[in-house]
Amino acid sequence: MSSADLRTEPNPDLEGVPHTGEAVLSDGYLVEPQADDFDHAKAAPTDPHWYKRAVFYEVLVRAFHDHDGNGTGDLIGLTRKLDYLEWLGIDCLWLPPFYASPLRDGGYDISDFRAVLPEFGTVEDFVELLNEAHKRGIRVITDLVMNHTSDQHPWFQESRRDPQGPYGGFYVWSDKDTGYPEARVIFVDTETSNWTYDPVRCQFYWHRFFSHQPDLNYDNPEVGEAMLDVLRFWLDLGIDGFRLDAVPYLFEEEGTNCENLPRTHGFLKRCRKVVDDEYPDRVLLAEANQWPADVVEYFGDPAVGGDEAHMAFHFPLMPRIFMAVRRESRFPISEILAQTPAIPSGAQWGIFLRNHDELTLEMVTDEERDYMYSEYVKDPRMRANIGIRRRLAPLLDNDRNQLELFTALLLSLPGSPVLYYGDEIGMGDNIWLGDRDAVRTPMQWTPDRNAGFSCCDPGRIYLPVIMDPVYGYQAINVEAQSASTQSLLNWTRRMIQVRREHPAFGLGDFNELGSSNPSVLAYRRHHVGNHDTDDDLVICINNLSRFPQPVELDLSEYAGGVPVELTGGVRFPPIGELPYLLTLPGHGFYWFQIVLPDIGRDA
Amino acid sequence: MISAVDLVADIADALAAVLPEQRWFSGKGRPIHAIIPLRATDLAGADPRLVHAVVEVDQGELPRDRYQFLFGVRSDVPENLGHAWVAASGDQGVYQAENDVELAVLLLDLMARGTEVQGLRFATEPGVTLDTEQRSRPVGAEQSNTSLVYGQTYILKLFRKVAAGRNRDLEMHRALAAVGCQHIAAPLGSIEGPLGTAGEADTAAFGMLTEYLRNVADGWAMATASVRDLLAESLLIEGAPGSVEHADPADVGGDFASEAYRLGHVVATVHTDLATALGSSPAPAGYLDMLADGMHRRLDGVLEQVPELSPHSDELRAAFDAVRGFEGPLPVQQVHGDLHLGQVLRSVTGWVLIDFEGEPMVPLADRDAPASPLRDVAAMLRSLDYAANHLPLGETDSEQRAAVALAWSTRNQDAFCDGYAQAAPDPRKQAVLLRAFELDKALYEVAYEHGNRPLWLPIPLAAIARLTAAHP
Ligand SMILES: Nc1ncnc2c1ncn2[C@@H]1O[C@H](COP(=O)(O)OP(=O)(O)OP(=O)(O)O)[C@@H](O)[C@H]1O
Repeated sequence: MSSADLRTEPNPDLEGVPHTGEAVLSDGYLVEPQADDFDHAKAAPTDPHWYKRAVFYEVLVRAFHDHDGNGTGDLIGLTRKLDYLEWLGIDCLWLPPFYASPLRDGGYDISDFRAVLPEFGTVEDFVELLNEAHKRGIRVITDLVMNHTSDQHPWFQESRRDPQGPYGGFYVWSDKDTGYPEARVIFVDTETSNWTYDPVRCQFYWHRFFSHQPDLNYDNPEVGEAMLDVLRFWLDLGIDGFRLDAVPYLFEEEGTNCENLPRTHGFLKRCRKVVDDEYPDRVLLAEANQWPADVVEYFGDPAVGGDEAHMAFHFPLMPRIFMAVRRESRFPISEILAQTPAIPSGAQWGIFLRNHDELTLEMVTDEERDYMYSEYVKDPRMRANIGIRRRLAPLLDNDRNQLELFTALLLSLPGSPVLYYGDEIGMGDNIWLGDRDAVRTPMQWTPDRNAGFSCCDPGRIYLPVIMDPVYGYQAINVEAQSASTQSLLNWTRRMIQVRREHPAFGLGDFNELGSSNPSVLAYRRHHVGNHDTDDDLVICINNLSRFPQPVELDLSEYAGGVPVELTGGVRFPPIGELPYLLTLPGHGFYWFQIVLPDIGRDA
Repeated sequence: MISAVDLVADIADALAAVLPEQRWFSGKGRPIHAIIPLRATDLAGADPRLVHAVVEVDQGELPRDRYQFLFGVRSDVPENLGHAWVAASGDQGVYQAENDVELAVLLLDLMARGTEVQGLRFATEPGVTLDTEQRSRPVGAEQSNTSLVYGQTYILKLFRKVAAGRNRDLEMHRALAAVGCQHIAAPLGSIEGPLGTAGEADTAAFGMLTEYLRNVADGWAMATASVRDLLAESLLIEGAPGSVEHADPADVGGDFASEAYRLGHVVATVHTDLATALGSSPAPAGYLDMLADGMHRRLDGVLEQVPELSPHSDELRAAFDAVRGFEGPLPVQQVHGDLHLGQVLRSVTGWVLIDFEGEPMVPLADRDAPASPLRDVAAMLRSLDYAANHLPLGETDSEQRAAVALAWSTRNQDAFCDGYAQAAPDPRKQAVLLRAFELDKALYEVAYEHGNRPLWLPIPLAAIARLTAAHP
């Protein structure tokens, strides 16, 4: 193949759309779209710590609503459904990548950071989404893969074609495939080495993930600059932040496992500085699928309130919530929270029950640091149930009590909750679609054709809508559930409202209240306000067992206070010196505000 | 102000009336002839006033038991202390002071300051500084002593029945802490001093302060939650009437085996730490015969009371005699002595062993005798069996339930031994001895249940039937 052929290798479907590499400057640099080529969205109302109180909602553009009737959801479709999300009480949308991509890794293989995947729409559509969302007080963040690109990215095509050109050093090239031997192969099922030979450049290139996703070479200062410019491009358009994908792997160093290196943290500090200096109110959420003690490093220096990511996902909590309920024992949750270090004042965890990707347990934790964890992996039950990709409702046998308990835990444990689209109505999955797609079927809006997702011929839909009798769109859909006061959807909405009324959930500290009953998990969330009247003290008590349980809590610290149940406002008997006795129905929970006599304020 | 000694003498008669109502009083059911004050010491204050006292209880037999008291004295006894009322003295009221938040915190102060009052030494363990800004509350649980929790930080165990000489609980905690054992509540302070029996070498321990473990649940609550889950799953299985089909304990969510495994590992680690701290030696000559003789003696006694046992007596005797011929290494050392699921607490970092007072039925002086660690292992295996069987109690007799209990018990006993074998020799390799210890423990249980809780008698009886039927 001649180099000329390579130059013309088509960037997927970007005909007629501004994209990277439409033209080449005389010095060999590719021309890339600039933010000023587009309108900019109006910003959301300012609020520096919004992400600490926010309820996030992960939505796949492809799966939410199809506006143009081609069978695939799109940005305009999503924009049309913002009223629903506002009604539900969502504060921020998280969109997995919608960039131009050959889609060999669900869009995480980005072939142009500055173009939208044509089937989803255009950059203009995205700006429109931002505008409409901001009008409703909803923010939008998206994934950005910093570590690598698709091998279809023009940068890579240039790099392999012209080692001496401006992109020659954008990737990690080597004559040998023996470098960095201590770095593990992450996708052991598909990859045998982190090096792959490129017949064009006649060298090996480095990749921590799939061989079609070459790692960017952060040793080259131009790469760092180029990626910061990608951040600026979207921030200029008005995006509210990024979930930074696979951050631990940016730099490589001989003699290390090439993860979490100091220079990787150094680069994140640069990203944060760009955000702080140029784009206040925007957030960086690090995806570091590691043990919490390691993840806190990605918040940066606690002395300044954190100077790397504002948020990071707390990965190990999710499987442990499932384990705890299965075991009818609080300890799986208690343990992981006890081992979670304090985070800087400006930082917040992101927590979730389900998302678009099932997590493999291997990725959750560092066995060497957690003997407890390795013990639990031995339980075949957990492997069977946590390793597979399913939605929340089928995982919980569609048991309404458990769905409510899990959601209550998600909304009250420390961190900002991330809901996964469709879980608010208890959508099911389609395991026949293969594990990746099982949980990515179209959102179920109505009992009508295609679940109201698209007006296309049913055969054209990117994935069939769920049709089984229990979870099918005729039984489970937004329209029916919004009409019923007893529905899961209305219940979830109500709980989100309650959460919003109490700063303790987002901003409060977390203290577990022990009890002698191992099946009950009780904790205190306390937000110390600027004035006494801002003080918010909430106590959450969860029965992890399917059977009714008594619990005696030592609340003597609040003797004289009155627990007021948050969903109904019912006042419970006042707290005295003796242990406070409560009984909970199977999988039941209570949220109480403690109204102290000296404050004398009602809930 | 009336002296502490006179005060206690003043209320002695009233104490005789109060004593039989105390949970920790072990002379229940026998008449009290007299209360003889041994010592009384003013610890603090005038109104309220805190008095420490030791009294001897004359119930006609020797030796007489001695008990520790803390009295509060107030002109105006608040209503919430009414239940602790003992007597009036002059125009003041005397009551037991453990529930008096104002007075209880003084004990912590005295320890923090290292005070000595009339020979009563309040001390911290070396290197410990106490935070005395803590609110106290008594532990609600049924127990043979009285424990006070300070804040969520410390727990002070006040020994009720006191005796001159070393205190095993305190000593074991100190010895284990000295070798860095991670599986106990760290000892932080003590109250020790003369008992007041003029003449004798009579120093006694009155209190032990340890770290309070927040957010713990005891092994019994953990284990029975798991059994409950297995039973519920099993009841879902459709079977022919009288079917013994049940869910596999390995498959149900509430499986306890990983906890039992960790517990076994912790018990073995504590045994190893005890050996490091206090030594371990090969059993002395005659130890096996002594063991076997003791077991036979117990059997003799129980057979007299519980005739249901006689069908098993030949096998029991054979199992005990087999001990005499046991060959192989047999180290003896300090052990826990009273291990069961109620003595192990699950914290967020793992299992912790509490209460090293030793075997309750053995005279204090003999509790220190070195023993085989298998004794503790056998005791825990029995406790797991109790947990497995306790829920079905009172239900209509069901073979399915029995089968569930057996499956749970077997799985978790195995897991416990597997975990134990990770840190010490596998107890199952000494099957003859382990089985004899288990049977001996079960005999003790038979006697106890026969006398106290006849409903529970089937649990140890079934265990004996099973253990004697399956020869190793
Ligand atoms: N360090 C500790 N941290 C938390 N709780 C504790 C601690 N030590 C003891 N407890 C609680 O207090 C209870 C009584 O403790 P302990 O067994 O030491 O006293 P005891 O009077 O000897 O009891 P018993 O007569 O039941 O053996 C225990 O069941 C446990 O629930």
